[in-house]
Amino acid sequence: MSESEQLHDLQKNFMNYVTGEDSDMVDKIESTPALSAKGRLDIYAYAYKSRLKEAITTDYDKLHSYLGDEQFDTVMERYIEKYPSHITNLRYYSISMSELLREESPFNQIPVLAELATIEAAFADSFDAEDHRFVIVNDLAGLAPEAWATLQLGFQKSVQILAMEHNSFAIWKALSDEETPPEPTKSEQTVMWIMWRRSDLVSRYRALVEPEYEALKLAKEGENFSVICEKLLDFFSEEETPMKAVGFLQSWIEEEMLSELRT
Amino acid sequence: MSRPFLGFGLGLRTDHYQHIIEHKPQVDWFEIISENYMVPGGKPLANLDKIRADYPMVMHGVSMSVGSTDPLNQKYLQKLKQLVDRVEPHWLSDHLCWTSVDHVNSHDLLPLPYEEKTIQHIVDRISQVQDYLGRQMLIENLSSYVTYNNSVMPEWDFVNEIAKRAGCYILLDINNIFVSANNHHFAPRDYIDGIDSDRVMQFHLAGHSYNGEMIIDTHDHDVCDPVWDLYEYALQRFGAVSTMIERDDNIPAFPELRKELAIAEKIARNTLTKEQLHLSNHSLLQGVA
Repeated sequence: MSESEQLHDLQKNFMNYVTGEDSDMVDKIESTPALSAKGRLDIYAYAYKSRLKEAITTDYDKLHSYLGDEQFDTVMERYIEKYPSHITNLRYYSISMSELLREESPFNQIPVLAELATIEAAFADSFDAEDHRFVIVNDLAGLAPEAWATLQLGFQKSVQILAMEHNSFAIWKALSDEETPPEPTKSEQTVMWIMWRRSDLVSRYRALVEPEYEALKLAKEGENFSVICEKLLDFFSEEETPMKAVGFLQSWIEEEMLSELRT
Repeated sequence: MSRPFLGFGLGLRTDHYQHIIEHKPQVDWFEIISENYMVPGGKPLANLDKIRADYPMVMHGVSMSVGSTDPLNQKYLQKLKQLVDRVEPHWLSDHLCWTSVDHVNSHDLLPLPYEEKTIQHIVDRISQVQDYLGRQMLIENLSSYVTYNNSVMPEWDFVNEIAKRAGCYILLDINNIFVSANNHHFAPRDYIDGIDSDRVMQFHLAGHSYNGEMIIDTHDHDVCDPVWDLYEYALQRFGAVSTMIERDDNIPAFPELRKELAIAEKIARNTLTKEQLHLSNHSLLQGVA
């Protein structure tokens, strides 16, 4: 075995101990009268779990409030077991939380849990999303009349569209205000929400009505303004459509969602 | 040795952003945790830029994993370099440890066996990092709780040898020496006596917690008296060295932490001559990297 392989085996053995896998690491460590090899290694095993739990707790404090300490700890234990960390930066360790809560029983028996996790992860992504310049209303004035049809929109990296089947945003808001959250209820149909970060670096969110959602979806996919207008004909008359489309565009600009007008 | 001397600094923590931005308190410099700013944008970088405009900084990483047998993480190094370009730190450091193997990350600073083959492995990797970054780095001694059966040398010899062969500098954590000395039953002054003075560029100070017979490096208490004594001893041995306090948990209000830093300043003033401090300040102009 090469020297590098020996070091690799030692590290693999150590990591197995820390993560609770099969390991004979205790035989590779000195025991002292003060503490056995096992007691010494256990310090690292304990630190491993507590560090990951600290990261998860930071990222999902509303989910934590909603579930209480004991049940939240059960969620964290399962998360750590299912998702060994493959990332360098702890900021991104818990990004699969909504996936776990959506896919696994018993967590998926309370569907708002996965939605709460989705909301909290979206806030985290919005918080430190890439910075870009903000399009201002005056930028529209510079557009040539013939440029409108092929106009494409660039969105801030913080802009995220979230689909919610329950009143999860209301639950999130109540938890955020440290009030008693409402009972979870399923909406008659899925409600689409938008979350984004404005120039004051504070994230906002609001529900989207169907025409705006459809327009936004196409715009984010890179479709141009005439395609967006065509889609809006499903909702509005030919006379109303251009005004509605410009209205959406104007509000996206005023709410600081756009980074670029591409002509 | 005439080493750059930044004076007395603190670890930059989110709890203190507002106080620092509003009051611009007198602190010679801040040390940032590099990974906290390896994000695309938003408040972390906005606050970093604001504070950097008023204070010198150094960068301190926790994820380079120079001791790992995994290949060096090129994406990490790329982001680190981008952050170096943004912050323009006086220097950057990471730990003499490994954090991941087979791409599973412990997010902890795990110790290495102190033997020749480990030294060469790490020297090669630090050299690669320094070549990529185009600057010398600092490596920090750990707090540790285990000794490998196959370790054949004291930690200070291991640290010296790596620093000498890789051409890097040492970030000497005084608290970590105290913690490891207790946990592994050696005299902390032997460690300080054994370290090559020419390589020491920075000191860390911090608090710790007792867990039975062991001391855990928790950074959640004030610096204790025996660590202050060891700091004084280190100043006598090494002269003026840029010094900062790390606090990561149970974080007090900024003015309280600033008062604790004043203890370090007082000890340095009482231990070092004005000439030592003056000479070191003068050499600050020459930079290190």
